[in-house]
Amino acid sequence: MGKSDRVTERQLRVLTFLCLLSPMIRILPSAAVMFAGLPAWISPVPAFLLGLLYVKTLNLLTGSAPEGQGAAGMCVSALGPVAGRVFCIVCGLWLTFYAGFVARSAAERLLATVYPNGTNAVFIVALLLGAAFTASGMAKTLSRAAEVLMPIILGVAVLVILSAAPEMSVDRLLPVTYRDCARVLYGAAPIFDVLTGFCYFLFLRGFVSRPRGIRPNHFPWLAALSLMAFAITVVTLGTLGDSLAETMDNAFFMVVRNISVFGLVERVEAVVVAIWIVTDFIFLSALLMIVGEIWRTVTGATRHAVFSVPTAVLSGAAAFLIAGNAFELQKWSDFIIPITNIVFTVVLIPAALAVGKIRKKY
Amino acid sequence: MKRAAAIMLALSLALGLNGCGSGLTIFSNYRRLENIELVRTVTADAEGGDITATVYSDAGKESDPRMYQRTASSIGVALGELQLMALGRVALLSHTENMLIGEELAAESLGECLDYVERYSEMRLDTGLMIVREGTARELVSGLSGPDAPSSDVIKGFADNISRAGQGYVFSCREIIASLCENGYALAMCVAGEKAEDKLFESRGELDIRPRGLAVLTAEGISGFLDDEETTGALLVLSKYRSKDMDIPVGDTVVTLDLDGFETQVRPVFDREGALRGMKIKLHVSANIINLSGTAEVSRRDYRERAQDELSRELREAIEAAVGRSQEMGIDFLDLRGFAARAEPIKLQDMPGSFEEALPDLEVEVTAESSIRRTYDIMDPPQTAKDKEVKNPWENLIESLRDS
Repeated sequence: MGKSDRVTERQLRVLTFLCLLSPMIRILPSAAVMFAGLPAWISPVPAFLLGLLYVKTLNLLTGSAPEGQGAAGMCVSALGPVAGRVFCIVCGLWLTFYAGFVARSAAERLLATVYPNGTNAVFIVALLLGAAFTASGMAKTLSRAAEVLMPIILGVAVLVILSAAPEMSVDRLLPVTYRDCARVLYGAAPIFDVLTGFCYFLFLRGFVSRPRGIRPNHFPWLAALSLMAFAITVVTLGTLGDSLAETMDNAFFMVVRNISVFGLVERVEAVVVAIWIVTDFIFLSALLMIVGEIWRTVTGATRHAVFSVPTAVLSGAAAFLIAGNAFELQKWSDFIIPITNIVFTVVLIPAALAVGKIRKKY
Repeated sequence: MKRAAAIMLALSLALGLNGCGSGLTIFSNYRRLENIELVRTVTADAEGGDITATVYSDAGKESDPRMYQRTASSIGVALGELQLMALGRVALLSHTENMLIGEELAAESLGECLDYVERYSEMRLDTGLMIVREGTARELVSGLSGPDAPSSDVIKGFADNISRAGQGYVFSCREIIASLCENGYALAMCVAGEKAEDKLFESRGELDIRPRGLAVLTAEGISGFLDDEETTGALLVLSKYRSKDMDIPVGDTVVTLDLDGFETQVRPVFDREGALRGMKIKLHVSANIINLSGTAEVSRRDYRERAQDELSRELREAIEAAVGRSQEMGIDFLDLRGFAARAEPIKLQDMPGSFEEALPDLEVEVTAESSIRRTYDIMDPPQTAKDKEVKNPWENLIESLRDS
């Protein structure tokens, strides 16, 4: 990476927030309701606390790494040149596959909600093409784009949620008792799963120029993301009830479809679709950039940009081959992807980073 | 140079995808504005083993109301054909306000219609749903339509105002689907067409739309119907009234009360063993006197109290009728379980047996209180806070003695 391609700690956090918003609005509230039922609307609270603990732990593990070194470099120095590179290749392949899954999910979501007669190939190709183009650019461009888009996305999301709120009934959110604690924690699992995506952005840490002595504050973006999860879940469950929300693939979208502001503004789902597309696009671009950075570390190349197009092609292949139809994709989305994600973000990558910390490699 | 080339390439690709004339577009459901027929009302009726779907498009006063009809094996197929093949125009269902379903079809396959509304991305869940009794939905909606009174306007007016008139409530598809999913039952507004005898102007349709109580729906179809009194009771418990006018006999007079405030409290009663023994339903209503047949001093306290007692009795009987019907059917359409769960969640979870088993034998105690706030009698102006402060306590005492 060139010395000119530097981002600030804040820009990386904004990028992380915007990227993780994509899977968050994809899985919620269905995933949380599937685990927790009615009390799912409380689940973002423990998920936030767990997420904060997780992020603090990762910061402890990586905080003393030298400037310019990302998680890939840390893993190589922690596990040795061979084992470290093998580990990075495994991570890179997983993230390439994950990018394909994200592209396919985005396409299927558009087909299910807006373009019922379309084909997913158009959306997959368009998304990956745009993402590859962006990922081959500089990290600071992507981060700056995220910084510019974030207030727009947040503003629109807040407006949509506020417009949907009058339709909800508090009765649908009750009763919740102390006996529901375990269910609330189960419901926090998928939300925490999304928050652990923070781990992948450690691979972009090498781009961050850090003034000495200043510790990054992760509270605001984690709180904002959890608050967004809370708002989406509360509005959806308060409007549809948990039984109906659980049966729907895009329950929040269904709620948005019914928004009517004084009979003057109706059918505003296009803005939600815009949020989906923008966050998916940024997320895919970031994933391709992360994978490019991993390949750069493994091969010793000077620039990550050269890997963007081949990675996008591989991700595209994964997107087409992963599932024959939306039902098969749902199985991936419900079980295989979250579990694999947790294995990488909570077990493998932190373990590798911990080894480096114990061996005092950074 | 490289950047400019990339931008040019992207723009040229975008130009190719705009769909103008080329047919190459990402908008797979693209429709030309001039070909769109905006549907406001959809009806569905059973036709042999098939379903006849009819859509009514009368969005603008300038354009003539239009009606398109298709019969197919399912409502999805029928509406799908209608959307694509209705006289060369595309029927857009995204702004459908109300859906009327014939009683026969509702009894057989209401679930299929609700599934369609939930599944099809163009429909909205807040579409009002009514079940048409005494005839088909198609006949009713067609009969409502007149040259200057499009049927969709009449139906929308009915749906918007029926709860204000205190004669019913049009539940939306969302409310019905959510209740069926959550509880296994739901209520739906029933309507029927009546010959419009008091036709004020010729341009109105031949029929009037009239309320016919509520239907109790379960996953199997229609389980029964509620009469007017039971409907009033059910809507009072469910807090679905916005206002209601009632004629109450008080002595030799009949007073018309405008009920404008409702508050229902429902609490479960458990015995020492934790078994659910009964429910207490407490209703508080505020009302105003808006008309009087006969002669009476409506400002007198004793008259108002008699009117309040009569009103409370009528409302209590309405709720008791609804509760009795619910217990008789064994279907908790008043959502008593929901009230109990919110009030005493732990006790309800721990009670022996299920709520459904306990429902038929529950002792339900209904109390109703009403208060008349205003009489609208020019001799009895409403008191302001200032008046009350200024009034001498002795005057209050004398006034109350005089009243009694």
